[in-house]
Amino acid sequence: MNKPVTTIVVVGGGTAGWLTAGRIAAQHNVNAGGPVKVMLVESPTIPIIGVGEGTWPTMRTTLMKLGISETEFIRECDASFKQGAKFARWVTGAADDFYYHPLMLPQGFGKTNLVGHWHQQRQQQKIATSFSVTTCFQESICERGLAPKLISTPEFNSVANYAYHLNAGKFSQFLQQHCCEKLGVQHVLADVIGINNNGHGDITSVTTAQAGNISGDMFVDCTGFSSLLLGQHLQVPFIDHSNTLLIDRALAVQIPYAHEDAPIASHTISTAQEAGWIWDIGLQHRRGIGHVYSSNHISEERAIEQLKNYIGPAFNNASVRKIPIHCGHRKIFWKNNCVAVGLSAGFLEPLEASALVLVELSATFIAEQLPACRAVMDITAKRFNETFQYRWQRIIDFLKLHYILSKRTDNPFWIDNRNPATIPHSLQELMELWRYQAPGDLDFTSNNEVFPAASYQYVLYGMGFETDFGFSSHLLRDTDAARKQFEKNRKNIAHAVASLPSNRELLKKIHQYGLQTI
Amino acid sequence: MLHFVALNDALHKDLKINTALIEAQGAYERMVPVVLSEYLKLIVSYPIVFTKNAETGKFISVALLGFDERENLFWSDSKWDSIYLPLNISRQPFYVGDEAGETIICIDSKSPCIARDSEGEPLFEPDGGDTPYLQRMKSQLSQLLKGEQETRVFINALLELNLIMPMTLDISFANQQPQRVQGLYTINEERLAQLDAEQLLRLKEKNYLQPIYTMMGSLGQIYALIQKKNERLGDA
Repeated sequence: MNKPVTTIVVVGGGTAGWLTAGRIAAQHNVNAGGPVKVMLVESPTIPIIGVGEGTWPTMRTTLMKLGISETEFIRECDASFKQGAKFARWVTGAADDFYYHPLMLPQGFGKTNLVGHWHQQRQQQKIATSFSVTTCFQESICERGLAPKLISTPEFNSVANYAYHLNAGKFSQFLQQHCCEKLGVQHVLADVIGINNNGHGDITSVTTAQAGNISGDMFVDCTGFSSLLLGQHLQVPFIDHSNTLLIDRALAVQIPYAHEDAPIASHTISTAQEAGWIWDIGLQHRRGIGHVYSSNHISEERAIEQLKNYIGPAFNNASVRKIPIHCGHRKIFWKNNCVAVGLSAGFLEPLEASALVLVELSATFIAEQLPACRAVMDITAKRFNETFQYRWQRIIDFLKLHYILSKRTDNPFWIDNRNPATIPHSLQELMELWRYQAPGDLDFTSNNEVFPAASYQYVLYGMGFETDFGFSSHLLRDTDAARKQFEKNRKNIAHAVASLPSNRELLKKIHQYGLQTI
Repeated sequence: MLHFVALNDALHKDLKINTALIEAQGAYERMVPVVLSEYLKLIVSYPIVFTKNAETGKFISVALLGFDERENLFWSDSKWDSIYLPLNISRQPFYVGDEAGETIICIDSKSPCIARDSEGEPLFEPDGGDTPYLQRMKSQLSQLLKGEQETRVFINALLELNLIMPMTLDISFANQQPQRVQGLYTINEERLAQLDAEQLLRLKEKNYLQPIYTMMGSLGQIYALIQKKNERLGDA
């Protein structure tokens, strides 16, 4: 049992596979001839799903850890900057109904919880702006289509916090090349046709059609929805969350820009529909647009019609990909010597771009906590499972939050979403708490939190949630401190708007001149 | 918009330049781009640093003239108070342009240095040849043109060896007013000390050690610049 863990076999070559293989290889200096070897087995015939096109700011750290140049990444992956999400028509469904979930914390977060002050000053009619506009300068940048940095800002540094929109297919290709050429990952193109294990249930090798048996000490299942190793072979059950998250279908299209200088939105646009919502992601050379909906509430024809209405005439030339969604995840993610990363571990509707961030968090955990030998692997596995069960649940809660605050009644979809029977108990408890206090960091005590309290603030107050500060008015006496923060935010807006280039302009310059590394 | 016109001995036969106004063209520049071949002259007065071109993000070599926007501490009493005037000031109002791949000399037809009366340096002799003044300007422009290319190669060599690092100046002036100056870069001395023999030899063979040390030495001029600013604050 006390065999060192040195050969890691990653099965599956999508973004999840390459990110995990790359993180392990970089962390363990595989290229410098260390004891650890990383092999990635990829089917030459199965295409990748490739709709994960929105990231979190964590992707910047991930790319840095992989030793990737941001300039090259942007040039090769059709990437653009993303500064959060704009949620349109989620509350009332009216044309002017929108709010932002930016990627920056509210001004002075940690020093002053501004929610109460914002609420008070609005009641006293001293301010009229929304919570996100009053406390964060990022929405104003996004509304003007501005980039989060300058051409003179070094790689991975920012003026305003940012993530990326990217072409998932190109990103996989780019990662593959980098992992093989720079990080020493061995790439095997072969179809897995059998999985072999020892008496303890550990996987010892995978049998392939083209390359025979491939042995390893540890296996990473990145086989997508099929969950070949963890789900099919190790029989780990799937926990279905479709009772909470009612979406079960996606229609995805790619739409070219009207002309080559058309503005590129620097945020994801999510527009609520009758029984779901449409994502709109601006890359450099095209937009990725899709409709996720509940097939229990509207027909496919109706869903396509709504997507067509959203896009306009350009829709007629697009080919529509239909993707079934099963919101849920495996009961555990690491069993014996096999851990699942990506779609093989689970999938939730892409409302908050949680797919890639879960891949990054998993890859980081595996790379940095790689068990030295088989004897301690079960302990690592247990901790991994606890951590990620918690994270999946937190994400489900946060996604559900968007639905329960809606006031829409145009389809039973929205009414069903607000049915308490569909709301997780953990979220109900938080909602009860927030009736009398604004979300704060102490509401989230785990160091494995995915969404900070600030994110809950943006969604709650963006969607018109009312917290009753009647019992805590004594905490709102320092109005001067709050006013200073609001003033600081106004200055930040003016400065950012005056200095930042448009998203399109900066991306063009990065192609022409590149970003400096310092 | 297009007021940079190619110099032409027929078109500009009677044009004269008021050389007394040339220095004033840099009166409100906080920094001026400089080239390798003038480093040894610059070090007498100016801190030589790198900054980024705001349009391209690329590093350029500059002489620092002030701390605030539009502040040139060498500009005092309507004259440039220094022994050496950087080429990018003294070559005004001439520019190097490009026409169908050919390098040509242009003049800023809207420059205030273009003499309005008969006073000033003529560009062409009555027989059409260049005046000694224009010859001098042409030679400065060619030094700049060659120098810009050399300086670019120099900067790329430094970047390759990670020898450039950001420099933040936290200055307290005599009136206690603190100021943080950002966006400047200099030689990373620590990294320079770590270079191996082969890397050092390559720098030596390209004659880069001298400008590297000149840049490092020139940083002492920041104190002189602070003093200039303090004197100015004292006068105010």
